[in-house]
Amino acid sequence: MDFDQQLQLRFALIESSKVLQSLHLYHGAKWSSEALNGLCPLTNEQKVAVFQQSQQRPPFSFLPQHSQEEFLEFTEQDKLLMAASYFSFKEFDRCAHVLKDCTSPRGLFLKLYALYLSGEKTKYDETGGVLGQQDGKVQNQKLTEISKELENYGKQSTRGQLEDPFLLFLNGLVAAKLKDNAAAQECFYKSLTIYPFNWSCWSELIANLASFGEALNVLNKFSKNAKFMNNRLYHVMLRFFKITISQEFFQQFNELYEDLSYLLDIFPKFSYLKIQKALISYNALDYVAAENIFDDVLENDPLRLDDMDTYSNILYVMEKKSKLAFLAQFASQIDNFRPETCCILANYYSLKFDHQKAIMYYKRALALNRNCLSAWTLMGHEFVELKNSHAAIESYRRAVDTNNKDFRAWYGLGQAYEVLDMHLYSLYYYQRACALKPLDKRMWQAVGNCSEKLGEYEDSIKAYKKALSVSSEYDPVIFYKLATLYQSIKDDQNAAVYMKLCLDEEVNEGVTTETTKARLWLARYELHHQNWQAAYDYASEMTHGTSHEIEEARSIAREARVNLNRNG
Amino acid sequence: MSTNSPNTSTLTISPLITNKRSKDYFQTPPNLLGQTVNPQQNAHHRVFSSPNVSKSVNSKLSTLTSKEDDEETPLTQADKLRLWRHDALMQHHYNTAIYIGDKVLSLTGDPNDAFWLAQVHFANGNYQIARNLLSGPHFEESVSCRYLAGLCLVKLEKYDEALDVIGEVNPFKTDHSVKNPDGGVKLEASMCYLRGLAYSKQNNFDRAKECYKEAVLVDVKCFEAFNELISNHLMSPDEEWELLSELNFDDADNNNELVKLLYTTRLNKYKNVATFEEAEQRLKEEYSLGENLDVLLSRADLLFIQCKFQQCLDLCEQIIKHDELNLSVLPNYLSCLHELGGKNRLFLMAHKLAENYPNHHITWLAIGIYYFSIKKTNEARVFFSKASMINPNFGPAWIGFSHTFAAEGEHEQAISAYATASRLFPGIHLPNLFLGMQYLQMNNLTLSQEYLMSAYSICPNDPLLLNELGVLHYRRVQLAKAESFFQKALTAASTLDSNAKAWSSIHCNLGHVYRRLNMLDKSLSHFNKVLRISRKDVNIYSAIGLLYLKMGKISKAIETLHVALSIQPNDPIALDLLNKALESNLHINNKQLLDEPLPQRSAFQTPINKPSRNLKFIGEDNKRDLDMIAEDLKQGEDSSDDDEAVMEIESE
Repeated sequence: MDFDQQLQLRFALIESSKVLQSLHLYHGAKWSSEALNGLCPLTNEQKVAVFQQSQQRPPFSFLPQHSQEEFLEFTEQDKLLMAASYFSFKEFDRCAHVLKDCTSPRGLFLKLYALYLSGEKTKYDETGGVLGQQDGKVQNQKLTEISKELENYGKQSTRGQLEDPFLLFLNGLVAAKLKDNAAAQECFYKSLTIYPFNWSCWSELIANLASFGEALNVLNKFSKNAKFMNNRLYHVMLRFFKITISQEFFQQFNELYEDLSYLLDIFPKFSYLKIQKALISYNALDYVAAENIFDDVLENDPLRLDDMDTYSNILYVMEKKSKLAFLAQFASQIDNFRPETCCILANYYSLKFDHQKAIMYYKRALALNRNCLSAWTLMGHEFVELKNSHAAIESYRRAVDTNNKDFRAWYGLGQAYEVLDMHLYSLYYYQRACALKPLDKRMWQAVGNCSEKLGEYEDSIKAYKKALSVSSEYDPVIFYKLATLYQSIKDDQNAAVYMKLCLDEEVNEGVTTETTKARLWLARYELHHQNWQAAYDYASEMTHGTSHEIEEARSIAREARVNLNRNG
Repeated sequence: MSTNSPNTSTLTISPLITNKRSKDYFQTPPNLLGQTVNPQQNAHHRVFSSPNVSKSVNSKLSTLTSKEDDEETPLTQADKLRLWRHDALMQHHYNTAIYIGDKVLSLTGDPNDAFWLAQVHFANGNYQIARNLLSGPHFEESVSCRYLAGLCLVKLEKYDEALDVIGEVNPFKTDHSVKNPDGGVKLEASMCYLRGLAYSKQNNFDRAKECYKEAVLVDVKCFEAFNELISNHLMSPDEEWELLSELNFDDADNNNELVKLLYTTRLNKYKNVATFEEAEQRLKEEYSLGENLDVLLSRADLLFIQCKFQQCLDLCEQIIKHDELNLSVLPNYLSCLHELGGKNRLFLMAHKLAENYPNHHITWLAIGIYYFSIKKTNEARVFFSKASMINPNFGPAWIGFSHTFAAEGEHEQAISAYATASRLFPGIHLPNLFLGMQYLQMNNLTLSQEYLMSAYSICPNDPLLLNELGVLHYRRVQLAKAESFFQKALTAASTLDSNAKAWSSIHCNLGHVYRRLNMLDKSLSHFNKVLRISRKDVNIYSAIGLLYLKMGKISKAIETLHVALSIQPNDPIALDLLNKALESNLHINNKQLLDEPLPQRSAFQTPINKPSRNLKFIGEDNKRDLDMIAEDLKQGEDSSDDDEAVMEIESE
């Protein structure tokens, strides 16, 4: 990317952070401004040149221009200013009321967005606390009204549909809340093709994607769009999207790293990118790399709390207790009442086996931000620790409601139902987890286990075989399981094959319960088939196991010996 | 023309005018105002201006003045006493008026003097005395006396006697084209009206309706009768428009156009909306009555009938701003508030009314509606019944009263109450509609259909009614008919711009119909629309779950059913369906999942922006088996349709 394009990117980001700020899309504005500051810094001469250039001609605007709307906005300017200040004070209804009769796209956006937020606020007020009676049952009452008004506005406009990127974004937001995902994606897509520098919109789109297949479809749509093909700046935004979706769906491939380094060239100091990189490493189970990146981010931006809850997860998994404790202290010094801080603290208490306290902090995090993605899942884990399956199910369910890409939550749901002996239910959840992480043997094992419990031995065998095929090393447990399954369907030959395989793993894994059992089984099997020598060999090698098993092995050995002697 | 003619009004025998009449025959009435207004002007003059009677009167009665001022004849003694009496009456000096009136009567024995004396007694509330006075044999000949005697008897609640006095049928079966020369309301019309009033008090609404109609036909200026007819919905919409076309507006002289327009706006709004709009437009433009409250009221009626509650409410509030205690706007206003959930404002209004009109039926209606809104049915019932006790002909109270029973599922009582309402108000479709709904809920489809169809004949484009008709046919498994009704309801709802609530139940019902017709995609799209516009509802999610199950999209079905159960755990239908779905998940989906080839490790190298191999959902080889299982599932589902096909019935 040459200097001229970088300059254009700079202007685009400046414009976007200003516009998003004025529309009160704070997340988008924050992202844009961070991205702006993450660019390569300009040298002094460059600054002078840029300044002179911007004096001569106004920078190119990426926003669609309509002179008529500008006039409308001008006429409503006074009201807009007042509404904006009410909005900043979070007096949403008042803001909407001021803009009651406004017809300019900006006025309409501000009004409907204020209505939306007011509806969300009432919704949260009515839910009565995290996991309260009404939790999850209350709906934002304003949605219908907003979508109707948007529809009417679209009908009235010249081409009979919404054209303002921000109104489209809002329409998508409402559709997503109404669970009309296809429509929501369509709106977000349209909005982004008109104005791509709205990260709020991108992130809502990402949150709306349910599967990697869906994500690929959307990505294809973007890639085919001429704007995104030709314009380098648009392309930059698309790459951000690409990286984020691959991260969120646990996809890893070479091109991802190419994209990452391409963007890091342009935005060397952009924390968002670094964090994505860390998360990719985390998903690839490369905890050390992830930890290093987080350390680096914290060094450059010491008061940043965003994403630090993920950092604490990493530290938790690595069991770096002292570092986690430090992070917890550090975070609570910065701000005690940030959801991220609460999550970090909860992780810390969880590591100390203080599950009650951990739950309390997760609840606090969720009270501060309903959509705190990981908190729901982690709280579910804590409930599992406390053997409270119902509460665990409830919070896992919320987790998948807010983010249905979280395989841990699906898996957790399966586990919780398994504890309750509801295998039909847990099978379904394991399937969902499987679909998200098809290359994780644990998922297939879980499916196999459930199918077995439900009496579907053949399915169970298939599942376990899949588990075997995705795991890099052989696992005696799976072999043993497969063998017993074959036994259940009276296929002794295959059972013997797998018992043998299981036993063979003893070389790599050492003696385990499974291998002992396999040995005993094989001894019994050979005895049954009157292979006295083999039976004797197996039985005599039996050195571990319960006294009962060893006793049985001895008796087999004795019997085999007797028969050997008799035949020999 | 004699002074004792049913074709004249009391203006003819007014003491202010009679003494002029002797010479000059009084052709053109000074103004349209009846006697009630005229005296006020007169009284006004007496108090503030010249004590000279004839001057003050003449200055007002402009057409008369020019001639009569010139050749003023001296007043007789009796005339002077009459004027004294009259003025005393206008200033509410009843004792004076009675005293003097008695003397005049004794002096002259004129029935007209008896009439005016009786008027004084009547105004004083002494109906029996007035009646006794008028029952004298000399006075029965006088039309005006008979009318007043009848009125007194009605006031005394002696309806049979009243009918005896004024005749059970119109005794003046003459040609009605005779114009009233004095410009007032023809006494014949007033008597017809009185007859109607007596009949309606006796609950003989058919006769009453005929009498009222006759009254308006005799003299179009008899608004009293017209108002009774319209505001009590005594006629069916068609009859109303027919009546309007028969009316002879010439009686109103040069105001005929204005009166016609005004009456047009008063008629029901079920039909001929275009005519109404035109009339309203002309009233606005030609007479600049656009701001007149009655014109606004008609507009509010129209909006209410079109279910545009928010707009109606806005308009009602505008009216109330002008006239805080305008009673005729209140029924609409209160209903709108109830529809839109304005509990707080209902509370305020009810209190305001209770302070100002403690004995008015509308007050108790307001209180009843308030209690109904906050779902205190028992209290609501008490207040509705109080309202209908005060005024047994008050429709909204009856309907509200019935609603309280319906809300508690007491079908029998609700039906009897609705039936009363329907008998009282043949001109509105609501009681019949509600009756139909009740019978529908009681599963009495024949009766239900009868009532719904009769409501349909009155108002063919109420979305609620069309929806109910659809439900009826759905219950009778006449799915094609049901579909057509629901579609009609949908069009009606969209043209009338109904609120989202009515809309969503229509979509929901259409969804059910298409589900039964096995048009799954259509059905699904309707249910999705419901979800887009409305609240969370277990039944809708269950229905969608069932659809997905039928379509063989098991995981989607499970997802949806989970949502249903998260809204209402232990919902039996959803639980049942979920178990079915999970079972088929075990049998179908699990196999698919397991037979699916694993994503190859090399798939990691697939560039992300090229379409990766599409995940096949159904393994080609065993597709047939799966289809068969899915087929079984469908058949099993159909049998369980009946217990879960409970359709949502929206009631007011």
